Amino acid sequence: MASRRRMLLKVIILGDSGVGKTSLMNQYVNRKFSNQYKATIGADFLTKEVQFEDRLFTLQIWDTAGQERFQSLGVAFYRGADCCVLVYDVNVMKSFDNLNNWREEFLIQASPSDPENFPFVVLGNKIDVDSGNSRVVSEKKARAWCASKGNIPYFETSAKEGFNVDAAFQCIAKNALKNEPEEEL
Amino acid sequence: MSPHFLSLHHPNSPAMQEADLHDLSDDSDYAASQQQGSLSLIRSDSKRSSASEPDGAEIVYLKDNVTIHPTQYASERISGRLKLIKQGSSFFMTWIPYKGQSSNARLSERDRNLYTIRAAPFTEIRSIRRHTPTLGWQYVIVVLSSGLAFPPLYFYNGGVREFLATIKQHVFIVRSAEDANVFLVNDFQDPLQRTLSSLELPRAVVANGLSSSVSVDECPSIDNSERTDGGAFDGSASHIQNNGRRRQKVQDPARDLSIQVLEKFSRVTRFARETTSQIFRESHSDSFGTNERRTHNLTPHDYPSNVASNDVEKVTEQIPVTKDPLEYDKLSLVWGKPRQPPLGSEEWLTFIDSEGRIIDSKALRKRIFYGGVDPGLRKEVWPFLLGYHAYDSTSAEREYLMSVKKSEYEAIKNQWQSISTEQAKRFTKFRERKGLIDKDVVRTDRSLSFYDGDDNPNVNLLRDILLTYSFYNFDLGYCQGMSDLLSPILSIMRDESESFWCFVALMERLGPNFNRDQNGMHTQLFALSKFYRRRKKITFWITEHSQWSGSHSGPLEFEFETTMRLWEVLWTHYLSEHLHLYVCVAILKLHRNKIMGERMDFDNLLKFINELSGNIDLNSILRDAEALCICAGENGAACIPPGTPPSLPIEESLLYPQDDDVL
Repeated sequence: MASRRRMLLKVIILGDSGVGKTSLMNQYVNRKFSNQYKATIGADFLTKEVQFEDRLFTLQIWDTAGQERFQSLGVAFYRGADCCVLVYDVNVMKSFDNLNNWREEFLIQASPSDPENFPFVVLGNKIDVDSGNSRVVSEKKARAWCASKGNIPYFETSAKEGFNVDAAFQCIAKNALKNEPEEEL
Repeated sequence: MSPHFLSLHHPNSPAMQEADLHDLSDDSDYAASQQQGSLSLIRSDSKRSSASEPDGAEIVYLKDNVTIHPTQYASERISGRLKLIKQGSSFFMTWIPYKGQSSNARLSERDRNLYTIRAAPFTEIRSIRRHTPTLGWQYVIVVLSSGLAFPPLYFYNGGVREFLATIKQHVFIVRSAEDANVFLVNDFQDPLQRTLSSLELPRAVVANGLSSSVSVDECPSIDNSERTDGGAFDGSASHIQNNGRRRQKVQDPARDLSIQVLEKFSRVTRFARETTSQIFRESHSDSFGTNERRTHNLTPHDYPSNVASNDVEKVTEQIPVTKDPLEYDKLSLVWGKPRQPPLGSEEWLTFIDSEGRIIDSKALRKRIFYGGVDPGLRKEVWPFLLGYHAYDSTSAEREYLMSVKKSEYEAIKNQWQSISTEQAKRFTKFRERKGLIDKDVVRTDRSLSFYDGDDNPNVNLLRDILLTYSFYNFDLGYCQGMSDLLSPILSIMRDESESFWCFVALMERLGPNFNRDQNGMHTQLFALSKFYRRRKKITFWITEHSQWSGSHSGPLEFEFETTMRLWEVLWTHYLSEHLHLYVCVAILKLHRNKIMGERMDFDNLLKFINELSGNIDLNSILRDAEALCICAGENGAACIPPGTPPSLPIEESLLYPQDDDVL
């Protein structure tokens, strides 16, 4: 039997500072949560093997800096992405408002060949905080925005409690795979 | 402008048009550039009489709306005019930003000055990469022989093609064997060829070749190993070139890797520029005989041509050498001096006179450079190293200064403390800044005993100092990472006001790194952040690991200690204020074989460097860095652009240009 080459899927996580990008990545890859992650400067990535439809893939997840003035360091890593994950904090309105900027900036910098259909996934994180009482962005509002941008898949997550993180990344991997042209075996 | 040149280069000349039709079918901007091109030629003619160029200079290419993006935002750009200028035998490029029509108020005059390319001779240019994406603007990245690269130059009106074709008429460029979009300038690995080049023969070849239209079109369409242009020197030149190219293909994989890495980094990082150029220089000189290198750090250009010519055959047969040239350096060159024990209290007293002045600050800095400071003594010594206290101040003067500064601090602190809840509701920038700082201090080194536990008052102190700093330097504001610079200082000084002023002094040196609108942001911050990340990682890495394994003792304190030791050594500015760059180079050198051997791509290189963090033998790295710094000498210093942090800013008047979006 011909051995299949393992495919690398590159995923970029973007979003405002402190929305939980590093935490989501670590929760998914290492099943660990810490509320003491340092601010990410520049970029780093983790990899995880995922199985999908009987095939193994390597998911390369890029964690980027959230503070605006560090962005110029991160954009160099955007190119070649197969999927872009936009994260906001459901308790911080501005982080939601900025999703649009993040999306557009990504499209400009990564210059994907088919920007209209490039796969994004949106995550509304920190739904655990204060049992949801401090929430300012409703799920309805978030879903409406996602729908307006070409039906971007949307997940509500808690990196802290690991809620919905696996499901979200399954979707991310699936969409990244869709973006990949058919592989020659 | 010679009529010869004009007629050959005029875009409307039939030969050229025909040749171009084929090649530029995918070049959407080319039509525009053709028109622009003809305009340029006319304009450059008139420009010549305007006396803005040196005597005898001839503008052979001029393109307007060539733009750089200091940040990733398309809206933030500096547009200017790109020219190729021929003056006598020299050929150089300039890029002068337009005056007073900034696309964005954020971009200061100073930015424009920083990015201006006043005159870059092609003798100092190593390669040019063209990027002609299907979506977006065309741009080129020019990499200098020194390993530095200019920021990407975006051709809003197209014309990359014409730019390269014009260069090709005046200097010898060849297409990289590895990447069709890379054009190597002065790529004369073959010493004989280099000698010919210094006689400007390649130019003569090209000039002769101009009698046909082929050479104009040659760069995109013809393999460079088979130049077809005619001319007196054609035979020898192409023979040599073949020779050189074969070698290049066979023995220089690492070199092309380094070009790639260099260019990728050119967008973000001087850190990488410094380090990869260092790697490159080594791999480059590796392709020559090793015997000469034993005594000097000669660049290839320094080889006497006669010796080099004799080596041609030998060189051709050589197998790629991946040994670390430092091994040779060690035989005859400087070794970093053995590290000393930290400066202790008794010895410290010998540096101080009866009134508390430092008698010989240079001797003190030298001492600390080689050994660091005993932890118990840091509280006294750091304020000097950071520049908060003057070395020639007396104890009494410092006492007085402390009390003055304390009330000054309280006054600034009071500015934000007096903001009421109602006021804060209407003060978004304040709320956001405070939110960001709150977020970061919680993330700060909490497993250090000084910051341990919930509701630790020292964490609140961190927040107060940072918030006060963001009012003290409102233009700069708060930038992620500052908390990690402050936390060791506070843990040493243990006094709010003193910590604040030491931090202020540190930020005076590092500040430009944190400001997006300075040159620093695009090209320098990465150097610091990488470097600083390493320091940070030293603690972070351990923090993570000790946390997950449930162990809070052991290596942590030691690593934290290492971080502080590194800082104080750097702060001495003994040997070089840019020692941190040499430290980076030393670390890369140490891992050179691995990086080169495994031909790491960009991703893996990044990962590798990020993961090095916890595993650095500081003393040996410092010794290597010292040796490198001494070896590099003035040449090394000359590679570091003026104003590179931690140098103090060149202009004192406006440290931080207004930036409305900075939190």
